[in-house]
Amino acid sequence: MNFLMITGRTVNQGVTVENKTSAAYAAETSTCFMHEFDMLELGLADGDPIRVTGPCGEVVMRAIGSLEVEMGSIFVPYGPYANHIIAAGTRSTGMPDFKSHEVTIEPTDEEPKTVHRLMEDLGGLAYDR
Amino acid sequence: MIVKDVVCPFCGCLCDDIEVEVEDNRVVAVTNACELGMTKLMGEERMKNPILRDGNTWKDITYDEAIRYAADMLLSAERPLLYGWSGTHGEAQCVGVHMAELVHGVIDNTSSVCHGPSILAIQEVGHPGCTLGVVKNRADLVIYWGSNPIDAHPRHLSRYTRYAEGFFLENAFRDRKVIVVDIRKTETANVADEFMQIKPGGDYAVLSALRAIVRGKTETIPRTVAGVTREQLFRVVNLCKNAKFGAIYFGLGLTMTPGKYKNIRNAIELTSELSRHTKFTISAMRGHYNVYGSNEVNTWMTGYPFGIDYSRGISFYNPGETTAVDILARKECDAALIVGSDPAAHFPRRCLEHLADIPVVQLDPYPNATTAFCNVQIPVAVTGIDAEGTAYRMDGVPIRTRRVLSTGYPSDEEVLTRMYALMQGARS
Repeated sequence: MNFLMITGRTVNQGVTVENKTSAAYAAETSTCFMHEFDMLELGLADGDPIRVTGPCGEVVMRAIGSLEVEMGSIFVPYGPYANHIIAAGTRSTGMPDFKSHEVTIEPTDEEPKTVHRLMEDLGGLAYDR
Repeated sequence: MIVKDVVCPFCGCLCDDIEVEVEDNRVVAVTNACELGMTKLMGEERMKNPILRDGNTWKDITYDEAIRYAADMLLSAERPLLYGWSGTHGEAQCVGVHMAELVHGVIDNTSSVCHGPSILAIQEVGHPGCTLGVVKNRADLVIYWGSNPIDAHPRHLSRYTRYAEGFFLENAFRDRKVIVVDIRKTETANVADEFMQIKPGGDYAVLSALRAIVRGKTETIPRTVAGVTREQLFRVVNLCKNAKFGAIYFGLGLTMTPGKYKNIRNAIELTSELSRHTKFTISAMRGHYNVYGSNEVNTWMTGYPFGIDYSRGISFYNPGETTAVDILARKECDAALIVGSDPAAHFPRRCLEHLADIPVVQLDPYPNATTAFCNVQIPVAVTGIDAEGTAYRMDGVPIRTRRVLSTGYPSDEEVLTRMYALMQGARS
């Protein structure tokens, strides 16, 4: 199914933002808040993994039902998971389209990667001390 | 020991009424701060010493070695990028600008991915703003547009708007109306008197409709505009025109959505339309505690607020070309110095792919996502905890942050000053 992906801040994202290697930060920024009817349509329960495909790649997140999100759109707390599929074009403003990406969502059996793993996939080296 | 009047170094509210309890040189309790501020003030997951990437392992190095590495990297680069700056104090930002000029690099701050579009709009039509104190004491109508302060600026409502006392308001909680405009029914929308829900991407159209109604061009308004009914648009304009003093606060819901800076321009023009009937102001909900300061420091030193390119020897500014995301996505820079931000967590992946290909030095107290792309990371003191320095609140008021702990970590300013001295020595 196709959705409009909107990213933004949440309290939990802010609380964990100075500890980006923590499991709590990974859990928060890999959460995809969806309307419960959309979850029903996709056969998803709270916490189920989903594959989110955007214009420049795919990433696995977890779906959570939310009363705040309208049908047809999803909300993802700012962070490395959403940015893994966001395009870098800025339309000559310096600002990417952080709140207007069309994505496709399907259920998956894969688990979301850790932040370390996402960074290593792009050529980084995790620091773990 | 209890330290009073501590300044919280988290968001642009820069709350200056925090009490911190220190025992054995550790913060053990925080009073008055929100959850975000409290967690930051009590945070302990610091990096212990500078590190160097050595193939597929990390090696501990000294501050001298790390500073020398960074200076050499910037001196030998043809087009270095100096990015971040909103998570540090103004004194360090000053040194950053001098360094960028010396090596003919590009210096950009995080506003290019938050309120950069707001600044572009302000450059077109000006900024009818005011300080937070004026809003607290006078505003009887507050509009949050594309902004969710309960999550992003938790004390904005209690210190300045919804739950704040006002000197010129008899009963502020009763007399002050709050309107929230958003595409989601956020927590902030739940405490508003009026919630105007817009279809995604519809902000520009709704702002234009409101402007038309304020001007009396009511016959042109269709039955709904981007999901908002005609009746609600009229009701909102009536609330605005009947207010004695209105304040609009907008967030990334306007700067990151289609239209970007044109949305802000339209919102500022709505503010000036409304000011023909009553008194209205508009301001941005700035995110990092000193992102406003990075714009101030850059502007007074270079003439431009962000995205400044010194490759010509003089400052040149062209957002979309000289901004960090664009420079990284075009694979243009050949070295990067990151200070007080975490681009690997907040930039699109294409930018990170280039960060992996070039030498990167980061100044940050904590291991973060960008650490993985660093050749060297230098841990520094946290401004507002173990370093002091000037920060600018979201309304442009400079506030000196305080030091509540003494640790052995050098401040950003100290590290950058030593780096700059080495660079000056090499270039003289």
